[in-house]
Amino acid sequence: MVVFRDPFQDLQRELERMLEPFSAFPSAAGGVFPPVNIFDAGDAYVVRAELPGVDPKKVEIDVEDDTVTLRGERAFDVPGREVAYHRREREQGRFRRVVRVPGRLETGEVKAEYRDGVLSIRLPKAKETRPRRVEIAAA
Amino acid sequence: MSTTTTDIEARPKQKAERRDESTRPGAYFQPAVDIFETPDELAVLADMPGVPPDGVDVHLEGDELRIEGRVRPEDYEGLKPLHVEYGVGGFYRRFTLGEEVDREKIQAQLRNGVLALRLAKAERARPRRITVQPAS
Repeated sequence: MVVFRDPFQDLQRELERMLEPFSAFPSAAGGVFPPVNIFDAGDAYVVRAELPGVDPKKVEIDVEDDTVTLRGERAFDVPGREVAYHRREREQGRFRRVVRVPGRLETGEVKAEYRDGVLSIRLPKAKETRPRRVEIAAA
Repeated sequence: MSTTTTDIEARPKQKAERRDESTRPGAYFQPAVDIFETPDELAVLADMPGVPPDGVDVHLEGDELRIEGRVRPEDYEGLKPLHVEYGVGGFYRRFTLGEEVDREKIQAQLRNGVLALRLAKAERARPRRITVQPAS
């Protein structure tokens, strides 16, 4: 019997299973917005955060040792004139978040990208901690 | 008037209820929305992070407006989750429109993960100034 597996759905289920909202992971100095996911990409860690409608120029990312600090502001255009709100669920304001990655990083090679409202930060692992293939020497 | 910026609080993503005829598999969430009204139009702003412009559908059927956004599985290829604070999936939400919306004049734009819908009000629903002519 052939079972069709969708790897993305598997990932979604895995994320669901591992979900820890508002965890104690951030330091006391930072807040809990935005929620972040941390992935292992083999030779790098990838930290992702959902920040729709943010000006990327207003987001600061600082990396020191194994901590990543995200700081910024989410500010919407105010419609002006005569406006009546029917619903207001999207939050705006300042945020500051400190995230720790599980291992040592290679300094100076961090890349950040903001696309479709998702901030993605790629942090290469320190070379000596990357997965390495070990050859078995002949006897 | 001075405004103070406050610190944002995180909110958990709400799962969306899907209708039976939507058979697309995978997790879906309800996007957070702002809905406001000006004299001429109704505006809906929906947060759909991770959805590219070609991943969004806006359907109008009778009184019901449905918005759906799909994320790209390719964005997660080769990534193994280590620490998870939010689920990843598409977005779905339904709205009932009042009669004041002109069904023919709906604009949709997706930028930086925010879907902006502008629904023009039907002419008769817009506030009109009526001038009174003096009797000759």
